[in-house]
Amino acid sequence: MNFQKKRCVAMLLAGGQGSRLLVLTENTAKPAVPFGGKYRIIDFPLSNCVNSGIDTVGILTQYQPLELNEYIGNGQPWGLNRSHGGVSVLPPYARSKKSEWYKGTANAIYQNISFIERYDPENVLILSGDHIYRMDYAKMIRFHEEHDSDVTIAVRQVPMEEASRFGIMNTNPDGSIYEFEEKPKHPKSNNASMGIYVFKWSILKQYLIADEEDPNSENDFGKNVIPAILNAGHKLFAYDFEGYWKDVGTISSLWEANMETLGPDPEFNLYGDGVAKIYARNYALPASYIDVHSKNINCLIAEGCEVYGDIHHSVISTGCRVGKGALIEDSVIMPNTVIEDGVIIRNAIIGEDCKVCKGAVIGGTFTGTEKRQISVVGKAHVIEANQVVKPGEVI
Amino acid sequence: MKNIMGLVFANIYDSSLGQLTNKRTLASLPFGGRYRQIDFTLSNLANAGVRHIGVVTQYNFQSLMNHVGSGEEWDLELEEGGLEFITPFSMGVGNNFRGKLEAIEACSKGFLERAKEDYVILADAAVVCAINLEDVVKAHIASGKDVTVVVKAGIANDRKQLDLAVRLDEEGEISDMAVDYAAPEDYLASMGIFVMRRELLMQTAEECVAHNRYRFEREFILQDWADGKLSVGAYEFDDVALFNESTEEYFRNNLAIIEKEIRHGLYRDGLTIYTKVRDQVPTYYGENCEINDCIVADGCVLLGTADNSVLFRRVRLSTGAFVKNCVIMANCEIGIGAHLEYCILDKDVKINAGVKLIGTPEHPVILNRGDVV
Repeated sequence: MNFQKKRCVAMLLAGGQGSRLLVLTENTAKPAVPFGGKYRIIDFPLSNCVNSGIDTVGILTQYQPLELNEYIGNGQPWGLNRSHGGVSVLPPYARSKKSEWYKGTANAIYQNISFIERYDPENVLILSGDHIYRMDYAKMIRFHEEHDSDVTIAVRQVPMEEASRFGIMNTNPDGSIYEFEEKPKHPKSNNASMGIYVFKWSILKQYLIADEEDPNSENDFGKNVIPAILNAGHKLFAYDFEGYWKDVGTISSLWEANMETLGPDPEFNLYGDGVAKIYARNYALPASYIDVHSKNINCLIAEGCEVYGDIHHSVISTGCRVGKGALIEDSVIMPNTVIEDGVIIRNAIIGEDCKVCKGAVIGGTFTGTEKRQISVVGKAHVIEANQVVKPGEVI
Repeated sequence: MKNIMGLVFANIYDSSLGQLTNKRTLASLPFGGRYRQIDFTLSNLANAGVRHIGVVTQYNFQSLMNHVGSGEEWDLELEEGGLEFITPFSMGVGNNFRGKLEAIEACSKGFLERAKEDYVILADAAVVCAINLEDVVKAHIASGKDVTVVVKAGIANDRKQLDLAVRLDEEGEISDMAVDYAAPEDYLASMGIFVMRRELLMQTAEECVAHNRYRFEREFILQDWADGKLSVGAYEFDDVALFNESTEEYFRNNLAIIEKEIRHGLYRDGLTIYTKVRDQVPTYYGENCEINDCIVADGCVLLGTADNSVLFRRVRLSTGAFVKNCVIMANCEIGIGAHLEYCILDKDVKINAGVKLIGTPEHPVILNRGDVV
């Protein structure tokens, strides 16, 4: 079938296992992990696509795809239920000659060349499913086109002492990249790759095929494909991004990012007033019942909750119940979790569908002297009455 | 149940809700923080597996159509059946419907006759409840009666005028019927929900309209029952049913859902209430806010104090603002230090800093949509 040509198709890498999120990704793909009270991590790149005018998105899934597939559905919550384009979930599948799992990020795209070809796009935007940020990809694509770039890589300035944890782009004064270093010991600059790439499709396709033929390649964008394109003398540009961006691939960064949505002037403002809105799949739940007598609340509470206890500086997600006399501080409570009367939770992430029975104590106070210890309770766990979950403990 | 269709009357009681229904139908009146009244009616039908519904409306229906849309939230966006709006002047009838019977007669040819379902549930949007209509239809079929009306005890009080009230004998059979009457306490009030065969409904409407009878309760149910031509059964509903047939009731019932028993009687397992998705951000509760005993929807920013109130979506409550016993609809903004008690704020109202408005439980202060005070 012939489709109308698309200027840009987005491919969202959502296959990561997210093993550093421990119990939170035991039965859930990382992009499906709840965030900010009612969202899932994947809502952010997906909403960015829609807000940037990109209406064709392929989501590459592999690990625990069921929940993610169900969440994405026909893409209607993001306005991606289109008759031409829209959202397509792309798991690995058996082919006539061979079938295999996605071996790496580049291989995942390679296996879906035929999907991309159907839209005959000028450019392909590669995104990760584990970052929290708001970005207008249209600006980046415009930059890419204006510079007649073959590959454009979004970068952000990180503190120099952290630069060795990232893929670093060393650039000329005009923004063109002359060197790419993956986690360098002695970084020359602090332009860290955000894992967001715009490729000319003709170039990408050529190098994906070459990469696939190289038995020594790990089939990874950062390690193999981008260095190969750079070494062949193509034009690569770095695109500076200055807004909020967070890789929520670890427990502490996931906790931090949630906390950064709080406050009268939060570092990451979920409110869409005047800026791009973040869309999510919504469930039919009544408005929340709130009876909080404490001061200093500073919380986000989503719909379908019943909150009787004291809550401070926390994110309470959709459909949660917090009993009388319960105390929640500096914590993230994921959707549909029940916190019974008298429970104390501090510095913790409580997964979805959990039940924390009366009198349980999770986590501890943060004194500010040592590293903050985040306690984690995995999805659908029951914490027995009066059970104690120590600071930093993972259940 | 595949064999049932629904017919919903959206404009009933519009006139008794005053300025709240100036520019909308009663069916599209906001209720309970995030719903419109018709959400309950449509959800009850959807939860009973009804997939073919006509919504009769004749004026002020812009907000209703906008809200209900294609009916996809209720799984009514279907190839076959689904949701249809029935309005005057759209089916060769050149006048407004004077009563339900005229509306039924008007949609007989185009809508009812083409339907495949044997039974029709008639309902309006004035009574807010979560009811298992599948049970009602089963009881109706088992009873062998021509019509079943759903009734509720404890509503009749000698003062409230009821469209239809019935007295039941010891066997649960209707022993007396009263129409447009402030019935005594031992009568049960009709919830406006009727079940009957589609064929009978069409035939009835045709006959009644031919004889200039257009009032469903008075000129069909009561008259034919009294004449011995119609057997009518009553199905008593004993869970929460909130009758929003006047401004005072509407105000009281909005605040009533703050009570746990009433709330839990309305939001029940297996009887989910669906509504149009607005996709708002979770509500932010500020450092110095105090929110006691309130119903709060998504998208609000709350920095002040609220007590025993219902806050719809995107309400902005400024620092030092105080709100008690109020119903505050979507997008309202309450300025710094404002003080509100016993008020209904329609959508998009702006209360300036320091303004003080105090009503009474019987006569709440009502502000119209978009008012700036």
